[in-house]
Amino acid sequence: MALLEIKDLHASVADKPILKGINLTIKPGEVHAIMGPNGSGKSTLSNVLAGNEAYVKTAGQVLFDGQDIDDLAAHERACAGMFLAFQYPVEIAGISNMYFLKAAVNAVRKYQGKDQLDAMDFLDMVEDKKKIVKIRDDLLERAVNSGFSGGEKKRNEIFQMAMLEPKLGILDETDSGLDIDALRIVADGVNALRSPDRGFLVITHYQRLLDYIVPDHVHVLVHGQIVKSGGKELALELEDEGYASWVDEKGA
Amino acid sequence: MLNELRNKAETAFKANGFPTTKEELWRFTDVSRVASAEFSNDWKTSDLEFQPLDKITVVFENGKLSREKSNFDDLPKGVCIGSILDLVDPRIGTLADAQSAFVSSNTAYFSDGAFIEVTDGTKFETPIHLVFLADVDGAAFHLRNFISAGVDSEVTVIEEYIGQSGATYWTNVVTEAFVADQGFVDHYKVQRESATSFHFQTLEAHLGTGSVFSNHAVTFGSALGRNDIRGKLTGEEGEAICNGLYLLKDKQHFDTHMFMDHAVPKCNSHELYKGILDDKSRAVFCGRILVQEDAQETDAIQSNGNLLLSRGAKVNTLPQLEIYADDVKCTHGATIGELDEVGLYYLQTRGIDPVKGRAMLTFAFANEVLDEVKCKVAKAYIEGLVHEWLEQVEK
Ligand SMILES: Nc1ncnc2c1ncn2[C@@H]1O[C@H](COP(=O)(O)OP(=O)(O)OP(=O)(O)O)[C@@H](O)[C@H]1O
Ligand SMILES: [Mg+2]
Repeated sequence: MALLEIKDLHASVADKPILKGINLTIKPGEVHAIMGPNGSGKSTLSNVLAGNEAYVKTAGQVLFDGQDIDDLAAHERACAGMFLAFQYPVEIAGISNMYFLKAAVNAVRKYQGKDQLDAMDFLDMVEDKKKIVKIRDDLLERAVNSGFSGGEKKRNEIFQMAMLEPKLGILDETDSGLDIDALRIVADGVNALRSPDRGFLVITHYQRLLDYIVPDHVHVLVHGQIVKSGGKELALELEDEGYASWVDEKGA
Repeated sequence: MLNELRNKAETAFKANGFPTTKEELWRFTDVSRVASAEFSNDWKTSDLEFQPLDKITVVFENGKLSREKSNFDDLPKGVCIGSILDLVDPRIGTLADAQSAFVSSNTAYFSDGAFIEVTDGTKFETPIHLVFLADVDGAAFHLRNFISAGVDSEVTVIEEYIGQSGATYWTNVVTEAFVADQGFVDHYKVQRESATSFHFQTLEAHLGTGSVFSNHAVTFGSALGRNDIRGKLTGEEGEAICNGLYLLKDKQHFDTHMFMDHAVPKCNSHELYKGILDDKSRAVFCGRILVQEDAQETDAIQSNGNLLLSRGAKVNTLPQLEIYADDVKCTHGATIGELDEVGLYYLQTRGIDPVKGRAMLTFAFANEVLDEVKCKVAKAYIEGLVHEWLEQVEK
């Protein structure tokens, strides 16, 4: 069974149609990359999948792990194993990263019928995951993303993903804002999380990330539609030629 | 001497009467419900329960000290606690504004109150928990507290007001605090009066050189309430911290009037006030910082943030800076808003359901005020009360 099956998905933001018939299937273990010009609808797609109510699905169907996501609110999708690493992670004053992570991990565990982690188990888990995605201790103590640098926020997203152990990780431009070393660390973290039953949807503007996280499939999203799909070599072609041929055709 | 003070105060109170909304300081708070009511002097022992926060509790039941319920016998040298009626100090009444109706009526009629003194060099770590119980319907309670911290001394005082649910009464408190040079007074006020009561307090603090006065005022109760908090920095390098939190629902009306007087150079004052308002409740915050001509190198920060949980709730917030010195660092700001939906969505994408997410965000908003709380028992107690309040509001 496919992990994610998107069929003829249409979606609007503020009554403006953005996604115009997306078809995409991700099987367990696969990494799919989406590339495309600014404003083409990449973040819209990730928000529709994650359950942001500002983004309205107007037609089509999305099955996550065989279940229609229309039946699931945002937090239920997260609990069912979907994870969105935000293009712009949100700052939350007054809640420490550790407290937030513990609440999240236990919410997901509760939904999945697993025991709640106590303080000790939770700390052990944090230590464990820090080996996968290196993150400074002071960032864990501070309020969620508050005053974090752009790169620190992105790394925190991946750390959260490691903690929540999702079935599907959607990475919305996680590479933007990262320095060369951080990019490497984040990519290594994602690669460490790759497994036969986990899938990834990686949104990026740069072929460079795909040197590290090698995708099985690459899709080009333009004007709310996937205009071309191919193997990892497609990313290299785009790097050379850009999106001009599609953008021009549409007269944009 | 006290009699003379009381007589003068009674004359002033009778001559001036209660303020009306025509007066600038009372524009948003109408006290006619208090002014027109007849209150009795009835007295009984109290049936209310309370939770002692530490070893020392001073309990007042319906306006009178109860030695039976209190526990302050074992005090180290240098610490004096008792009834203000027994321990007279010539400084009583010298701080509080005699023209205010609430102060003058208090001076004229106070029935009791706490007297706390720590002598020079005495650092008393055990928090002194003052508990004021009110369960006589229709009564007025005038309470007068006096706190004196000597040179290089330290004391923690927690005032807690607890009322019988459903009882209508008027609590009128004046607390005067003298902090001598290098002294430290860590003061808390937890107001849990009945939702049908009236509660007014004037807190006046006088700060010496290098001293610190810290105040955290947390309000849950009273139908109509007001805190007048007034600090005067009279010696260089003094520091005043006045933080507060008000959690209001139904038709509660709560007013905070702050006045911070920087009379000398190199002092700091920080005020962080937050409010969470549900239903048709109403809050008033007026924070005035006065930086006098001599008060160079003043560092004053004030902010007031309000979170509205309902469309019917309303806030009037008026930060005021009045600066006559030129070398100062002063900032103020006020916000009124709703819960951050983007933050809620973020929590949801991490598996946290919206009910829990709202509770987390709301608590986080309030909790910032408690960041600077030094007294651990006070912090834990207040946090518990905030959680309890939030759980009730969610229902
Ligand atoms: N909340 C919103 N209100 C109005 N318009 C929106 C909103 N969110 C997105 N849009 C619009 O939808 C279109 C697609 O935006 P989206 O963020 O999905 O693009 P993107 O492909 O992720 O771009 P980028 O590469 O710059 O991140 C844009 O034209 C954008 O302005
Ligand atoms: Mg985007």
